[in-house]
Amino acid sequence: MLARISYAFRETWASFKRNVTLTAAAVVTSAVSLLLVGSTFLIQRAFDNLLTRWKGDVELIVYVRSDASPEQIAFIQEAIESQPTIIDVSKLRYLDQAESYAEAQKLFAGDPGTLRLLTPENIPSQFKVVPTTDDSNLIRELGESFRGVEGVREVAYAQDVFDVVSRVSQFIRVATTVMSIVLLMVAIGLIWNTIRTAMFARRREIEVMKLVGATNWFIRIPFMLEGLLQGLIGGVLSCAGLWGLNTAWSNAVTDFNDTELAALVVSDGYVRWVMVMLLVIGAAAGAIGSGIAASRFLDV
Amino acid sequence: MIRLESVTKSYSTEVTALRDASFEVAKGEFVFLVGPSGSGKSTILRLMNRQEQPERGEVWVAGKDINAMPDSKVPFLRRNIGNIFQDYKLLLNKTVFENVAFALEVIGRPKHVIKQQVPAVLDLVGLSDKEDRFPHQLSGGEQQRVSIARAFVNRPLILLADEPTGNLDPATGEGIMRLLDRINGTGTTVVMATHDQRIVNQMRKRVVQLDRGVIVRDQERGVYD
Ligand SMILES: Nc1ncnc2c1ncn2[C@@H]1O[C@H](COP(=O)(O)OP(=O)(O)O)[C@@H](O)[C@H]1O
Ligand SMILES: [Mg+2]
Repeated sequence: MLARISYAFRETWASFKRNVTLTAAAVVTSAVSLLLVGSTFLIQRAFDNLLTRWKGDVELIVYVRSDASPEQIAFIQEAIESQPTIIDVSKLRYLDQAESYAEAQKLFAGDPGTLRLLTPENIPSQFKVVPTTDDSNLIRELGESFRGVEGVREVAYAQDVFDVVSRVSQFIRVATTVMSIVLLMVAIGLIWNTIRTAMFARRREIEVMKLVGATNWFIRIPFMLEGLLQGLIGGVLSCAGLWGLNTAWSNAVTDFNDTELAALVVSDGYVRWVMVMLLVIGAAAGAIGSGIAASRFLDV
Repeated sequence: MIRLESVTKSYSTEVTALRDASFEVAKGEFVFLVGPSGSGKSTILRLMNRQEQPERGEVWVAGKDINAMPDSKVPFLRRNIGNIFQDYKLLLNKTVFENVAFALEVIGRPKHVIKQQVPAVLDLVGLSDKEDRFPHQLSGGEQQRVSIARAFVNRPLILLADEPTGNLDPATGEGIMRLLDRINGTGTTVVMATHDQRIVNQMRKRVVQLDRGVIVRDQERGVYD
């Protein structure tokens, strides 16, 4: 067993050195395509963060002052519920201060300055209102009527952010997904080609191996390992790139304090999760590309 | 040890390389396959280790119908069969020792076995003092000895030799024949394809003669023709 493993690694390393140019091309392409895959995930996540306030068809948010009394809050709720023709009362949700604080962690992820000022005590609580109508004038009219109610701090409309952002996000999502899939296929193709070339270069050895009774798996594994390693190295490079991009982006966004853009920052935890996924996808792409090449080659 | 039963093999609709061939090789026997170029000698050898499969008929090796066995079993069949070729098929970037060790390495034999068996077989073929040389530093006869060592290092039951003396001068070829005879003497079955009349006539072994894919003669202690 040990002999087999050391054989596989020795052969993989030797082949790597032999095909430096092709290997580099395959690795770089994998890295770029995986970076795009990673960016797709982060961008989607960022937009999700941005829109998280408005999840579930919420069109209107009534923010309640942090010092409002329970009676005032009850009164605001009554005022909203007294408009059953315009709003869907069953979907009306009240986020108390603790819940609003949790939500703010996502919303202001890119704005640590603001986050630091917020506490579960000073944050406004909020009513999330789902309307029954599509008529934005009607919704706006209703919203403005709440402004005067005691205890209301602010009224916000989904329309102001939502339409543009959701359309942009949709577009970017489709575009980056398509591009990453195409590039990933190219990467698999390049790895396939590298492995095919490597096997062709060693066809005499392979011929001898088959004659003396090496199993197909034994012959295949060093090559598959090589492909897997190429994908994995591409994955590692893409992780480094993604980390750099995300850091630069977060810094840039932080400069726009106090805007909606602050929500476009993705938490480190999520970035790490995406990086692990890139490594897995990279390794899988390498194994697939080389696996196909090796099986085809051994057939003939 | 080896039995062909009415074997027909064609590579295309025009070329029938072997037609309804039947013969049997007993354990420990030495058999020459003779006939002009293109008569089907190599095809028979390739059928015996399942590099080729026949259209019709059966090939039995060591008690098994080898065309009935699944692909995954073929490597294990081949571990019992050594192969020698006219062009040696040595790996040029490996030393003599490494070339022979390679055959054991790739079937997963442990290092200590390799360290013990490779020098033993190199001693048998008379190349003990050249184990660190590369193929291009050897004469043709020596290269063929390396290839014989590689074929024999795993102590196969059968040795298939396809024109092993084809590239060698007569004296060197004779040396190779003495070596094959010695290996045959250890109980290994040897099937050798050749059109070298002198060698066949000298050795006086069983001769199976082919003509355009048909077995036309099968003679004990025969001569070339
Ligand atoms: N791989 C192949 N594809 C097509 N025809 C082949 C192939 N191998 C051998 N042949 C044909 O089969 C016949 C027998 O060939 P072969 O067994 O190599 O003869 P020998 O070894 O006696 O010279 C020849 O006509 C040859 O051209
Ligand atoms: Mg031939």
